[in-house]
Amino acid sequence: MFKMKFVYRLITIFLLFGLMIVLPYSLTIIKQLEKMIEEEEMVSYVPGGNGTIIPEKGSELHKEFIPRLIDQMLPYFFYILVLAFLLSIFFSRKILISLKELQKGTRALRDGNLDIKLDIISDDEIGEVTKTFNEMASAMRNTTLELKKKDVYINAMLDPLWVVNEENRIVDINLAFTKLFGHLREDVIGASIYDFFDDKNAEIMRRQLEERREKWLSAIYEINIFAKDGVQMPVLISGSPIYSDGQVVGKIGILKDFREQVELRNELRQSRDYIENIMNSIEEEIVVIDKDYRIVKANKVALMNSDIPIIGEYCHKILHGSNQPCWAEGHECPAQNVFLTGKNYRTNHQHFDASGKKYFHEILASPIKDSSGTVINVIELIRDITDRMQHENELSQKNRELVMLNEISRLLGKSLKFDEIFSQVLHKLIEMMGMDGGGIFFIDDASREMLCRYHKGISDEYVKMLGRIRLGDDIPGKVAVTGQIMTTSDISRDPRVDRTIMKNSGVRGYCCIPIRGKERIIGVFCLLSFKAHDFTQEEENILSSIGDMTGIAVENIRLFEKMRELYEFQRKRREEEHSQLLSLSAKLGAAIDLKNILEGVLDLVKNFFGADFALLLVSDEEGNFSLKASIIPLRQADELLYKASVNSIERHAITRKKPFVLFDMQSESEFFLAPEIAEKKYHSSVAVPMFIGQKAVGVVSLYYARKRNFSDEELHFLEIIANVLAVSLERAGYYAKAISEKELSDTVLQSVADSIITIDPGGRVIAVNKSFEKMIGVLQEKAIGLPLCDIFRFQDGNESFRLRLAECFSSALTGKAVKRDAELTTAYGNTLSLLISSTPILKKDGEIAGVVNLLRDISREKEIDRMKTEIVRSVSHEFRTPLSAIVGMTEMILNGDIEESRITQYLNVIKSEGIRLSKMVSELLSIARIESGKESLKLSAIDLNALIQATLESFESKISGKDAEIRVSQNGALSFVGDEEKIKQVLVNIIDNALTFSDKKCIIEVNVRRKEDILEIMISDNGWGIPEEDIPHLTERFYRGKHGEKTKGTGLGLTLCDEIVVMHGGTLEIRSREGQGTSIIIEIPFREV
Amino acid sequence: MKKVIVIDDEPFILMMIADKLKTAKIDVITLRESKNALEIIRNEKPNLVILDWMMPELSGIDLCNMIKNDPDIAAIPIFMLTAKGQDSDEQLGLQCGVERYITKPFSPKSLLDMVKEAIGNE
Repeated sequence: MFKMKFVYRLITIFLLFGLMIVLPYSLTIIKQLEKMIEEEEMVSYVPGGNGTIIPEKGSELHKEFIPRLIDQMLPYFFYILVLAFLLSIFFSRKILISLKELQKGTRALRDGNLDIKLDIISDDEIGEVTKTFNEMASAMRNTTLELKKKDVYINAMLDPLWVVNEENRIVDINLAFTKLFGHLREDVIGASIYDFFDDKNAEIMRRQLEERREKWLSAIYEINIFAKDGVQMPVLISGSPIYSDGQVVGKIGILKDFREQVELRNELRQSRDYIENIMNSIEEEIVVIDKDYRIVKANKVALMNSDIPIIGEYCHKILHGSNQPCWAEGHECPAQNVFLTGKNYRTNHQHFDASGKKYFHEILASPIKDSSGTVINVIELIRDITDRMQHENELSQKNRELVMLNEISRLLGKSLKFDEIFSQVLHKLIEMMGMDGGGIFFIDDASREMLCRYHKGISDEYVKMLGRIRLGDDIPGKVAVTGQIMTTSDISRDPRVDRTIMKNSGVRGYCCIPIRGKERIIGVFCLLSFKAHDFTQEEENILSSIGDMTGIAVENIRLFEKMRELYEFQRKRREEEHSQLLSLSAKLGAAIDLKNILEGVLDLVKNFFGADFALLLVSDEEGNFSLKASIIPLRQADELLYKASVNSIERHAITRKKPFVLFDMQSESEFFLAPEIAEKKYHSSVAVPMFIGQKAVGVVSLYYARKRNFSDEELHFLEIIANVLAVSLERAGYYAKAISEKELSDTVLQSVADSIITIDPGGRVIAVNKSFEKMIGVLQEKAIGLPLCDIFRFQDGNESFRLRLAECFSSALTGKAVKRDAELTTAYGNTLSLLISSTPILKKDGEIAGVVNLLRDISREKEIDRMKTEIVRSVSHEFRTPLSAIVGMTEMILNGDIEESRITQYLNVIKSEGIRLSKMVSELLSIARIESGKESLKLSAIDLNALIQATLESFESKISGKDAEIRVSQNGALSFVGDEEKIKQVLVNIIDNALTFSDKKCIIEVNVRRKEDILEIMISDNGWGIPEEDIPHLTERFYRGKHGEKTKGTGLGLTLCDEIVVMHGGTLEIRSREGQGTSIIIEIPFREV
Repeated sequence: MKKVIVIDDEPFILMMIADKLKTAKIDVITLRESKNALEIIRNEKPNLVILDWMMPELSGIDLCNMIKNDPDIAAIPIFMLTAKGQDSDEQLGLQCGVERYITKPFSPKSLLDMVKEAIGNE
């Protein structure tokens, strides 16, 4: 739009008005001029001109024309000017209004009213100005609004904030700053930020600022700031520079409250330390493995057990020397399994150390999960079970051997046919050794050759080729000559084998066992497999003994065959018993507890061989013999019978490695006999050694009252029995070892009977053990997390316990271990005397990570303590009365207070009180002896009737003093076996009580009867009776009930009675009602005279 | 003549005390039971009573309380002669208003001295 400038407009208006006035006026002027000129012409006409006036040539009128013209014109001019001016002003009045508006606007701005909007009145510069003014006001309004908003935001910020100038002085803070630190705004503005730090933190701040001075970067760091109350508060500062015109003018810092994080971090550190402590206190290896199968953590034991640093290494590299995770023969990698399943996984692994030694480890792998339940790490507890595995392996090895031996001895025993025995034994050997085939060679004496008689698993062609071997040739030939077993794991590489046909036959594992007859080798067993086979020493030993057994069996058969007719009857009988024995021996193999069975076997052997006495001795590594079983009980089982150095028959048999027969013991003085055996004066004996391979296990011996010799086959048979027994013994030994080891570890685990409560430094419970639950009656899950003392809030009376406990653990928290006694009422309601012992758990740096509180039940100890005090008190008290007589009366006699005639009377009292004193002492000693188990019963036949009479007689004076009536009832004369002196003690004590605790003219009944196997003695009175609450305590030592206060006594009588009755295997019952009387019922098993 | 009543269930103690006190010309009445003792004390009005603590039916302490509660005889001094040797027992005895608490075994001579002191024997 076209906008006219103000000046132009003014001029235009002026001109316009000027024109409007000048134009008509000009016409007036022109008319005036014409009139004036006409007047002029009339006055003097000057020719020559065309109407022009020539003043010089004019007249007077001419001369006056110009001034007149001016006079005439001037008012008009003046008038025109004024008029035009007035008009212009009139038309320009709008401008003034605009200006006024502007003035109003600026005033409003000055007063802070930013909402002002001016009307645009004219469309000129002023209009422009007004518009610009409006825009300016609006912009200002917006900026102010924004600033205000920012202010609100800043003050609404939860995190404190400070603005700092170049001199590190605070320029501004927000509300949160005041809220968090307590510093008021007016106090901090202008203060240096270093006023808010201690030296250490100031240094941190200075470093941070300096580091970034050049770069002017933002930074985040942790620092402690003093709050108003002087407490240092951890904050996370995020500081940024403030720029203005490309220059840094200050800094702004947001100070995030970091207390919670610091606390969390401390807790995390503590729990880590705690876990580390626990990990380190466990004696098994513990490692934590991450997803890459790297070991991220390990306890002390794991670190110690490895020669190289293991942290950061792959676990499979450390344990298996492998680059792959998951190497294990048939076992999965436990860590992998846990990562996959998220569940606990237990497995056994074999590992090898740097030197190649094999270890067996039991691994328990458990997941460590994050809050989302993802498995982030796996913790493995690695327990070295090498020893256990070795035992188990040995055990299973022994088992296998035993089964084999049993099988074979069964075969040998069952059959008397060569073919059957050999083919079956061969079959069994092949099967049990896991071989592929084998054969039996017999020596043909005539040709000095060995012929294959039986074979299995090998072709007939092969047998044809190799079935004939000269003695001394090849392995079988050599074995037949040397009589020593030969084994080779790979025959194709064995230098001892000459014949190439054998080497190239495909046979690898090979074993040759001599079959030893009575005096010579009769043949060999050959076993072969088509893959390499390692024979262990144990296997060789067992194979040897099978060879021996087979040989013996063969010899037996030969003998049997020769004498079949002669011994037909005997053989049958023998066979029967033989099989019985073997069935027993089979049982023996499976039995764990040998003792009974060994005795059974011995009995059978004794009967079978018609012996009078049999015993089984076991030899230890030094060669000492101890008794395992005997037919007539000799000594305690496992007691040493002969030392290794003693030359016994049994030692001789072991040395000879074969049965040793002593035909005439009486004429032989060379051998030492145990006194128990010597006194029986046996005439003959046979001792059969038991061997496992080359190891002497023990001896079975038979003794005869008559002279007896043994045939060879009898001795062979004894040897077989000895072999079977040896294996059984050995096996049982291993089994017992394995069991005891397991029990031991279980026991150790269960043996902590004390309650253990672990707390963190804040006094909250971290863990409790099972014993705690049992003892206190509060469940684990309820206790954990509680402040320690709050666990025991369940009972009001536990305040003093809680106080003591607090005392203990607070002291432990300062690093000092403390012990205190306190009484606690448990959740079950019973009261325990506990010993509280609190020990700090110290971290490596000496800081306290927690406290272990141990509560030991010392109620029993307290009770014993109480009883001890009671004993001392009561003893001293009871001794005082008789001492009064002794001391007082002696003094009086010495002082001459007593006349001669009465001195004897005095001395008698002194004597009787002395006796009373000594009785008391012996009563106390009796109880002590019985309780310590040192006292035994002196059994004899007791005439109960006489005993009761004698007892009552001793009370004669007391009975008459009380004027009491005694009624004794008895069904027949009763005689039984018991300790007379002690039973009398019981009767004396009870009758004395009945008399003491009854009024005059009381009735006391003594009732004795026999109820089948029980002897019942009942002593009743109609005296004062016993309060109900006293009854359960009466047999307690020194307990004296309500009536005890009024009478003299030791409080030991019923204790002693109860002890004596219990010694007799009986019971003592007290029935009583106060005011009505008391019955004491004694029941003891009746022993016939 | 001064009169002393001695009550104890042990006859030899009674005999001993009686014999000893008689040497000082003191009249002694001995009682083996505490049951009727109060009545006898009331009648006899002795200068002193010597009591055993532990007696059947009525204990020395009970009897002592009875004497002290009877205005007629409350002023009679009482000796407690007992085997109870503990401090707590002695405290209890003295609380009952016992003049002297004597524990067994005792010296008859010093007992006599104490009796003389208590009854002011001339």
